[in-house]
Amino acid sequence: MEQFIYYLKVSLLSIKRAPLPYALTVFILSVGLGVFFANATFYYQLNSDPLPGKSDKLFFPMTLIAPYQCNDCRPPRALSYSNVQKLAASDIPSAQAAMYSSAGYARLTIDQPPTPARVRVTQRDFFQMFEVPLLHGSVWADDNAHNQVILSRSMALKLFGRTGVVGESLVLDDRNFSVIGVLDEWQMLPRLYDANGRNHLSPTEDIFLPLETGYDLNYLSNSYSQTYDDTDYRQLATEGRSGALHQLQYWVQLDTAAQQHDYQQYMQSLAEDEKAAGRHPAPINNQLVPMNEIVDYFGDDPGDIKAFALVTLLFLVVCLFNASHLALNRYLSNQYEFSLRRALGANRSQLQLQMLADVLLMTVFSLLGALLIGYAGVSLMNALLPQNSLFSTWDLTLITALILAALVCSYLVTLYPSLRASFGSLNQQLKE
Amino acid sequence: MITLTNLSKIFRTELIETHALRDVNLQINEGEFAALTGPSGSGKSTLLNILGTLESFDSGDYLLDGKSVKGLSDAALSQLRNEKIGFIFQSFNLIKDFSIYDNIELPLRYRGLKAAERKQRIEQALELVGLHARRDYLPAQLSGGQQQRVAIARAIAGRPRILLADEPTGNLDSLMARQVMELLEQINQQGCTILMVTHDPDQARRAGRNIQIIDGQLHDSTMYEPLATQSA
Ligand SMILES: Nc1ncnc2c1ncn2[C@@H]1O[C@H](COP(=O)(O)OP(=O)(O)OP(=O)(O)O)[C@@H](O)[C@H]1O
Ligand SMILES: [Mg+2]
Repeated sequence: MEQFIYYLKVSLLSIKRAPLPYALTVFILSVGLGVFFANATFYYQLNSDPLPGKSDKLFFPMTLIAPYQCNDCRPPRALSYSNVQKLAASDIPSAQAAMYSSAGYARLTIDQPPTPARVRVTQRDFFQMFEVPLLHGSVWADDNAHNQVILSRSMALKLFGRTGVVGESLVLDDRNFSVIGVLDEWQMLPRLYDANGRNHLSPTEDIFLPLETGYDLNYLSNSYSQTYDDTDYRQLATEGRSGALHQLQYWVQLDTAAQQHDYQQYMQSLAEDEKAAGRHPAPINNQLVPMNEIVDYFGDDPGDIKAFALVTLLFLVVCLFNASHLALNRYLSNQYEFSLRRALGANRSQLQLQMLADVLLMTVFSLLGALLIGYAGVSLMNALLPQNSLFSTWDLTLITALILAALVCSYLVTLYPSLRASFGSLNQQLKE
Repeated sequence: MITLTNLSKIFRTELIETHALRDVNLQINEGEFAALTGPSGSGKSTLLNILGTLESFDSGDYLLDGKSVKGLSDAALSQLRNEKIGFIFQSFNLIKDFSIYDNIELPLRYRGLKAAERKQRIEQALELVGLHARRDYLPAQLSGGQQQRVAIARAIAGRPRILLADEPTGNLDSLMARQVMELLEQINQQGCTILMVTHDPDQARRAGRNIQIIDGQLHDSTMYEPLATQSA
């Protein structure tokens, strides 16, 4: 141990000898690692499982029950209200909830300036299915219309300045609601329940509104909706429940393989019945996609982030080459010292220990640099891609990966140069 | 203690082969002080490096203390260098940002000696070369002669039995060169075998034995008996 501390000291001394090239090497390595990791953070968050143990039990059913003739098409991403009702008639799922996203303005009293709010219009099982933690109050008693909202913790704080606001009332788009529940801090990441596209890294909604109330009050979906006729669906309250407006995301919880099989069966016979009744002109195409496959199914894996990940990986490789080149120059200018050590009786493994000390220091420095640059990078990307406004949370896995990557990169950068230097001809170097 | 038989060394580059040493036969006995002379490029450094196991050879054999060094592992060769051989170079080869003390400590570190033992040996060596008061100086703060004496202290701190010196006074003026020579003679008198490359005929004469090398071939070792006894 004492010997290794000595090696560390020797490493530090040789850094002090030429601090600038060393700093440049560390900087290049830090930039490569930092940029790569800023991107890897997105990629990792995007591909992580937000509900381990449950993501294979929550399913997203889709059918082609629509007044639409096509031979080869996939069912639409969203369901119509009437299709949800037909599916919800089944008691096979342990839980089920239809939902969509919308927006509104909230305030406490009509004379205050309004605060924009992201609204999730949904049903009571939503909270249980996606393991949403409640801080105060409760969820709705049933799936009927209620002038009751559930607030996110941050929205409660924003409007009231506190969280214990169950029983208080607020104004949402000029209508009065009472608060029946307040969520604890909650962020599903990726936010897969919003299976409508590329919002998987955006924050939790502010206000949760019952589905029936959303329809009654004409809250239209602000993400995905599709129609198959020319009804004016802005009159959601009167037209939305019966017509072919497809805007509902629908999730069912199927805990066992038997349930899943039965539900598939149920969807099949439903589609056949609808076909027989003339409401299903297209060939039957039912889908029942588990949550952990939903991104793949929709091909929502954002191409730009993937491409960017590749670019930053290449960038890291370029940085590695550059850093290695710089390190080689550094080692070659110190080469006579290697030869000297050999002449004084150092064996290869002692030189390698010295090299290990170099690697260790390089790792520490480039890791610090990479953390700084990575953090700046994540902040920058949050600013550039606000729809992915991730809260740059770096969990243990990611930090560990970063440390490992820094170690491997430092090793690579140091390995070749120091091998070159330590295997150089001995007599040549000492002659000068 | 050193026996070379028909030893040859060829440097091969893409274009040319250089026969740096041809069929060298040499016997050096314990306690000798031998000077190695010859024109530039004749193979003196090459011979010294082979003796110091820093360089391999192509044919022949090299016995050190009766044992061939051929086929020894890197670890064994390193240990041999560390314990039996001390090196002194023309350009001192001190590490610039190590103190005098740390420079001398280097080979002892690689031998894995305990701190107390290292300290004792370093102080002894510093005493011998007369630089005890400068132990915390950096090499650049010393004169050339002093630096070479530090290098000598480093070479002998491990108490080697052979000292290989490649033009140890080549970079020094005559006064400092004489001091270094006197130091080497003193070390020799304590029983250490010394082989020294030199261009200086006076120094060669002061050594007990003169080995001449021309174009990679050893010419008869000449004994300067009369002068050697004179100087002794
Ligand atoms: N690494 C090498 N590669 C190729 N040729 C070499 C190498 N080292 C030495 N030589 C050649 O071997 C021959 C002997 O070189 P060496 O260094 O032993 O000479 P020297 O007697 O020490 O000369 P000097 O007095 O100038 O130091 C020279 O011709 C030299 O060019
Ligand atoms: Mg030479």
